[in-house]
Order: sequence, then structure tokens, then C-alpha cells
Amino acid sequence: MLLNFQKKIIESPLSILIGVIALLSVGLLTLFSITAIQEQEPPNAFSKQLIFLVPAVLLMIAIMVTSKRFIHKYIFILYGIIIIAVILPFFGPKIAGTYRWIYMGLPFGLQPSEIAKWVIVITLARYLSDHNLQMRNFGSNIVPFTIALIPTFIVLRQPDLGTAFVMMAPVIPMLFWVGARPYHLFLIVAPLLSILAAFNVVVFSVWAAIMAIVIFLSRPQLWHGVGIYFSNIFLGLIFPFLWNSLRPFQQNRVLTLFNPESDPLGAGYQIIQSKTALGSGGLFGKGWGQGTQTHLKFLPVQESDFIVSVIGEELGFIALLAMVVLFLWLIVKIIRLAINASDRFAGLILIGIATIFMTHVFVNCAMTVGMIPVKGLPLPFVSYGGSFLVSSFMMIGLVLNFGREEMD
Amino acid sequence: MLKTPNSVSKSKFWVMITFVIILHSVLAFRFFQLQILDFEFYNKRADSNRIRAISLPASRGLILDRHGEIIVDNYPTYILYGIGAEIRDKQKNYKVISHSIGIDTSILKKNYKNYYRNRFLPTRLVKDLTIEQLSRLEEAKNDLSGIMYKQFPERIYNPKIRASHVLGYLKEMDQEMIQKMVSNGDYEYGDLVGWSGLEQEYETTLKGDKGVEYFQVDAYGREAGKLEGEENILSSPGNNISTTLDVSLQQLIEKEFRGKKGVGIVSDPRTGGILAYVSAPDYKPDLFTGLISNSDWQEVISDPNRPLLNRVANGTYPPASIFKMVVALALLEKNLISPQTEVFCTGSYEFYDRTFGCWSEFGHGKIDLEQAIVQSCDVFFYQAIQKIKLNELAEFAKQFGFGYETNIDLPAEMKGRMPDRAFMNRLYGRWGWSQGAMLNISIGQGEILVTPLQMAAYTNILATKGNTHPLYMVQAKDDFIVKPIVRNQSWNLIQKYMRKVISDPKGTGRRSDPKIPGLKISGKTGTAENPHGEPHAWFIAFGEKDGAMISVVILIENGGHGGEVAAPMARKIFKQYFEDDKTKLVNS
Repeated sequence: MLLNFQKKIIESPLSILIGVIALLSVGLLTLFSITAIQEQEPPNAFSKQLIFLVPAVLLMIAIMVTSKRFIHKYIFILYGIIIIAVILPFFGPKIAGTYRWIYMGLPFGLQPSEIAKWVIVITLARYLSDHNLQMRNFGSNIVPFTIALIPTFIVLRQPDLGTAFVMMAPVIPMLFWVGARPYHLFLIVAPLLSILAAFNVVVFSVWAAIMAIVIFLSRPQLWHGVGIYFSNIFLGLIFPFLWNSLRPFQQNRVLTLFNPESDPLGAGYQIIQSKTALGSGGLFGKGWGQGTQTHLKFLPVQESDFIVSVIGEELGFIALLAMVVLFLWLIVKIIRLAINASDRFAGLILIGIATIFMTHVFVNCAMTVGMIPVKGLPLPFVSYGGSFLVSSFMMIGLVLNFGREEMD
Repeated sequence: MLKTPNSVSKSKFWVMITFVIILHSVLAFRFFQLQILDFEFYNKRADSNRIRAISLPASRGLILDRHGEIIVDNYPTYILYGIGAEIRDKQKNYKVISHSIGIDTSILKKNYKNYYRNRFLPTRLVKDLTIEQLSRLEEAKNDLSGIMYKQFPERIYNPKIRASHVLGYLKEMDQEMIQKMVSNGDYEYGDLVGWSGLEQEYETTLKGDKGVEYFQVDAYGREAGKLEGEENILSSPGNNISTTLDVSLQQLIEKEFRGKKGVGIVSDPRTGGILAYVSAPDYKPDLFTGLISNSDWQEVISDPNRPLLNRVANGTYPPASIFKMVVALALLEKNLISPQTEVFCTGSYEFYDRTFGCWSEFGHGKIDLEQAIVQSCDVFFYQAIQKIKLNELAEFAKQFGFGYETNIDLPAEMKGRMPDRAFMNRLYGRWGWSQGAMLNISIGQGEILVTPLQMAAYTNILATKGNTHPLYMVQAKDDFIVKPIVRNQSWNLIQKYMRKVISDPKGTGRRSDPKIPGLKISGKTGTAENPHGEPHAWFIAFGEKDGAMISVVILIENGGHGGEVAAPMARKIFKQYFEDDKTKLVNS
């Protein structure tokens, strides 16, 4: 038994842990700078992160040595449990206008939606690997989407747009992995993009052109292609009118429903300060513990959402480039494990997890540099945040487990 | 289990890898753009976030009199500020302050609202705090939050004199004034700026250069740590200005004018320097410093005697008989009369269907030019004036500054009015006026108007035969005035006549002579009829002794006859100046 564990551990693709440890070090170093320079007494972000590291690593190892068959067998049950778990916060207290955390007498809250991210991935993987689906048919995409949509809707009501987005993100690459037609995936995403693009004439024109090319190249039946094209255009044209017919307070209500952390003005301030912190760091940064934007507190939520700005300010472009390369290496490594997996279930799980990490990295950094609106998504292994740290290490546990060649 | 093989094409793998690489490249490029390409921009922005500069006020230069006596000085006062973001309970703080320094909370509230810029900047609550008030505040310090004070130099004035119209006053910069001021960005809200008089004219000399103190703040505007790399700049005080004023003369004339309305000017004809500049009534020069209460202000602006009016430069009056020297000189120069010309004065003069009276209703009898000036006979001039055209007279008078600004180094002066044909036509129409108007002008009445300051310049011309400089307060003007074209013999005649105005027993100005041995006074009286009641009393004179010379212009509004009220006042001036001067010489 013990030998079996040892064997499992040794045969795991342990090299990804190098990336994880490197990223974790950058995160802890930064958290230490923030808390030490600003003379925050423990328990602070740094010390709490260290404490959370203990269950995180233990759970990673536990998942790493768990039988794949066991996971495969009970994943639907776990899916059911996690659906209930994301509903539970609604019965608890409202924190900062949201129902995200469950309090069970611990000094901190647990965020079940963090775990739900990868539970959805495994559930999807099982569904997509168990059934010999005719992925050429559009209809085969409906059930997988539904599997992801159920928890997503619940999380959206918490409300937590960022997490909901991360939950939906793996569906498309996973469907693509099992052979869904890109055209079909495109059709599913198109209406949402039409609505988003509708607020800018130039963007909408470009989008309309891309849509026309994609539909044309996919050679659907004429009436079908034309119908889809013009219903998307119509949606894009009508939506701004619908939106503008709302009163400002109604618009705000909708906006804050999706994004409760930040009023528009506050978000603008955060982005400006984040970009200022980054930009003023320059090539080599102001030096560890020397960030003026950080330590004079111009930079908001610096230990979680905007930790990249702290790194950029204190350690400079060099450090951020290194960090981006580390993430790239980690994600590419997971995708390579996916293609080398002999089993579809394993491959799909790895693809799903790679997507979750990719989404977190891109959304967090893009928000930090002002490319997308503020969404509270933390940076894996770097940002402070207990539930997400634990969840990230559990995902690494899954990668180590399912990246292993041997079958059990 | 896990029956399904993972049969995935390589191309799918590469699609995904490409996608992942693109996303990471976008991030890396964006970091590059912000941190390398836009580094300068964001670095500056980060600095402006944290670096605060507060300006340190420079103390204004002093204003001195001709002997170096201080007229305007500075003294330190304290200003109390509140920082919005740091005041925890405004009402409570106001109550504590109000209790300590005895100022009503409503004033604090009002000031806070008036001067408020943002939560993190100090907002002025009270100014002009004394050390005692400050120490009482220090005692209550524990009950205060976000309250601070700063030293601020304030103007203080020599108690002997007021001279408010010359010195001018300072005004506090408000938003509107800053917007109007395009040229100089050095001023900021709450700064004091010279707003009239010498304070305005010599603003650039007096104001000095403000200093800058840098410090670092955090996101809440609180001071946070030392700032490296920015050197504080100390303020440098403004330069003093030495005026030509003589405090003791100014004091004397101000005393003489107490309860009267009018003007007293003393200047040095050889230099143009002004020794005394009195416009009565005036106001306390510190009226505009500190907090003017509304009632004080109302009192000043609703005073029917208009103390804010600078009568020296902005009051315009008919010159009356003091104009007669211009008329006499014009006629002499054009050979239209001679010293031998005689006229018989019966006390009035018939001109067509109008009767023009002489001031002496009994008449002066047979009278020549000398006596016409000495006794100020109007009838002589009524007759003589008919020999000259209005335009000729106007052109001649303009050489003496009539109708022109004196260009003294003080802001805002009126230029009076010297009527010519074109002017009269404009005013009354081509046929609306007749030669009769000329008769009025000949005795300095009618349409002609002058400022007392112009008369000071005119007196200096008469005193020096035209070899004088423009009037000045601080900066002597090297260039002489453009000399009127007058033959020396005419100058000599006029000066002889003016001397007789004082020395002749019948001379109208005889009351101005303090009878100091060696002192020779020449002058002319005037009595200006006006629609506001009693005539204005004029007296212009210049006195010379041992190479020292001053000229005096006295105007007493509604004072009566120049010889009776204005001339005696001039006597006191001459007496003090020429007696004082001697003692000064001995002392020094």
C-alpha cells in the first residue's frame, strides 16, 4: 500500500511542481513585502497564506494518490454535492453584498465555488469520455453545456461573475478536444459576442466581418447561414437600444448585479492606480519593498486582485516577463500531458484544468493592465486567498494524478 | 474503466498551444508597453500621486518713507486650517476652537465652506490668530483632530499716518481673479496680491518669491515618511520700496484735513518726488486686512463723503483762478497783452446780454496784469480772453498737462478735461455754445476740469519754469517733462506775479506765508464755484529757501475762498517743512 503510494508519487510528472514552487515563491515574497513594510501584524495575508499552504499541500497529495477509478466512479455524486454547496452560502450571511462563503465555525469562510471549478471539469470529462458522442451534430453540445451551466447560474446569482466565467471557460476547449465542430462552438459563443461588440461601432463592424467570413468558410446551407448571420446582427443592433431604454439606476443595478465589488468610478480609480504602479516600475522595478504605489496604499486590493501590479512596481518588467514565461511553461506542460494521455477521461481533465489556469492568468493580468473591466479573479499560486490556493493545489494534484502514464 | 482511448489529432494540440502562446504574448507585450514604453509617463504619475508641494509664503517687501522710516511693515499672524479627511467630528472640533479663541462656530463653518478645495488639503478656518489664542488652542489639542496652523505674514501700518490712497491694499486671490490672471501662474488661491496704490504698482518688486516644501503622502493624503530627491526651496522676501513720502508732512496734512474733504499734495519741483499725498476723508489702511465684518464694510461704502474715492488722482474739479497763469502766459506769448495792458473792473462785465461777475463785487478799478493775478481779478481775464481762440488756448494749456495723465507711478488716474472747439461742438452742437463759454474758461470755470495731481505737476512747472520731472512716488524719472514753449521773460513775469500773490498786502495768498527769514513763497489762490454748495477752495504754491524747494497743492471741497481756508493750511506745511528741515540738518 505504502509502496503503491510511493510508486504513484515518483511516477507523477513532478517537474510541474518546479513551476508551482517558483510562482508560489514570487507570491509569498510579494505578500511579505506588502505586510512587512506596511507593518501589518499577523495574522496577515502572508502568514495566512503560509497556514493555508498546509491543507493545500496535504489535499494535493491526497488527490494525487487517489485512485483514478474512484474519481471516475463518484464524480457525479461529487457534482451533486458541489451544487448543493454553492447553494448553501445563500442561507448564510451576506458579505460585501455577495453570498460566496460558507462559515462552519472556522475563523475563515470556505468558498465552495472554487472547488466547483474543477468538479465541473471532471464531470464534463466523464460525460464526454463515457459516451461515444456524435460530436459532428450540434445537439451533442447541449448536455455538456448544461452540466456547466447549472452551477454557473447559481454562482452568477451569488453574484460572482468572475468565477462563473471560469466555470464556463473549460467547456469549449473540452468539446473541441473531443471533436466538436469549431463552427458549432462559434455559433454558441456568437450571440454573446454580438451583444458585447454592439457598444462600439468599430468593434461591431470588425465582428460582423469576422462572423461573415467564419460562416461563409463553414459552408452551411444558404438559408441557415444567412439566418444565423442576420439574427446575430439584429441582436447586436437591438441590444444597445434595449440597454439605453433602461434608466441609469436600472443599468447600474444590472451592472452591480454582475460586478458587485466595484462601482464604475471606483473601478476606474483602481485601474489607473494599477497601471501607474506597473508603469512606474520600469525594467527593474523600484526594488523589493520600495513600491510607492503599493506601500502608500494608492494600489487597491494589492494582495489579491492587483498583486501583479505590486510585482511589476517593485521587481519590474523582468520579473513579470519571467512570471508570464513560468505560467506559459506550466500550462503548455499540462496540455502536453493531455495529448500524451492514453485515456480520454484523463486528457479532458488536463485540458479543463489548463483552461482554468489560463483563464485565471489572462483575466487577472488583463484586468491589471486595464484591458478588461475589473473582475475579481486571483492569480494562481501568487495571489492571496485561502480557498483558491487550496483549490489550485488540488488541481495540481489532479494534474499529477492524471498526468501519470500508468493505468490503475 | 476509462475505456475511451484518447485519440486526439496533433493539430488540435497545436491549435491549443498557439492559442495559449498568443494569450501570454498579449500579456507580455502589454507589460512591455506599460513598463518600458510608457515608463516616463507612469513614473511621473506615481510621483505626483505621492509628492505634495506646499508653497511657503514670502514676506512682502516693506514700504519706507524718504528718511527710511517704515510706513508698511509685516508682522506674523497665524492661520488655522482644518483637513477635511482628518477631522473626526466637525461640530465638536468647531466647538472646541470656538471656545478657545472666541470666534463663533458659524464663522468657522462659513470659512470652511468658502475655502474648501478637497478633503486632503488644508482648508482655512480662521486667520489673524494671536499667540495667546494659539496657546489656548494648544491646550485643547487633545480634543482636536485634523486641525493645524501656519504662520502667515500680515501687513501692519505706521500708526502716525494713514496714507491709505497711496499705499493701497492687498486682496486675497479668489478663483475668479486667478482665472483672469493669464500671465502669472505664480499666484494661487488665498495669496495676497496688491490691489491698489503702491501695493499694486510695485507688486512684482514687493511680493518676493514663494518657497516650496515637498513631502510624501499616502493614498489618504496623510503625510508619510521623508521624501528623497526633492530639495525644498526657501521663500525669499520681497524687496523694500523707498518712497518719496515724508511721514511728518503726511501726518501734519492728514491732521489738518481731519473732518474736512479735500486734497493736500506736497512735492519737490526739482525732482517730481511726492512728499505728501492726502485725500480726505480716507479709511484705515488695515481695513482690508483680516476679516472685514460686513457692518464695517457697509459703513465705508455707504459713507456719503466717499472715503474710498482717491480725490488726488480721481477727483476732478474746476481749477478756478489757479488756471489764470496759463491764460496770462498764453496771451503774453502770443503778444496779445503786455504787462502794461490795463482794464477797468467795476465788479462785473457785460458781454452781449450776459453779465459776468468778478469775485469782488465792488470791483478792482483800474487794474493791470500783475494786479489781476495778485488780486485775482476776473474782469481783466474776461476781456483779455477775447483776443485768443479757444483752440489756441487749449493747445497752450495742454503743454502744462491739462487734459493729460501725469503718469505718476500709481495705478488709476483721471486725466481731467481741457475743452477745445471740437469738444464744445460735441457737447453742445455746432451752434449750441458761444464766446461766452470762453469767458468762463478764462477764470478756470465751466467745462474745464482738473485733478489735484495735475495741479501739483502744473505748480512744479511754474516753480521751475518748466525744468521739472514728472511726478513720482518710488522710482525717480530721469527725463524732464516736455517744456512748455514760453519765453524766459514771460516766466519771470509770472513768477514775479505769483510771488506778489503772497507778498503783496492785497495778495490773496498772503495768509500762506509763515514769515521764515529767507523763505520765498509764490502761489495762487482759487475759488471754484460748483453745483454742490460752497465753492471749493484751491491754493497752489511753491516755497524756496537755501536751495530747498517744495510745492504745495491744497484743495478743500466746499471750503469757501482759497485765500481764506486753503492758504493758511499751506502756511503750516511750509512752516513745518522749512523749520524742520533746519533742525534735521543740525541733527544729522
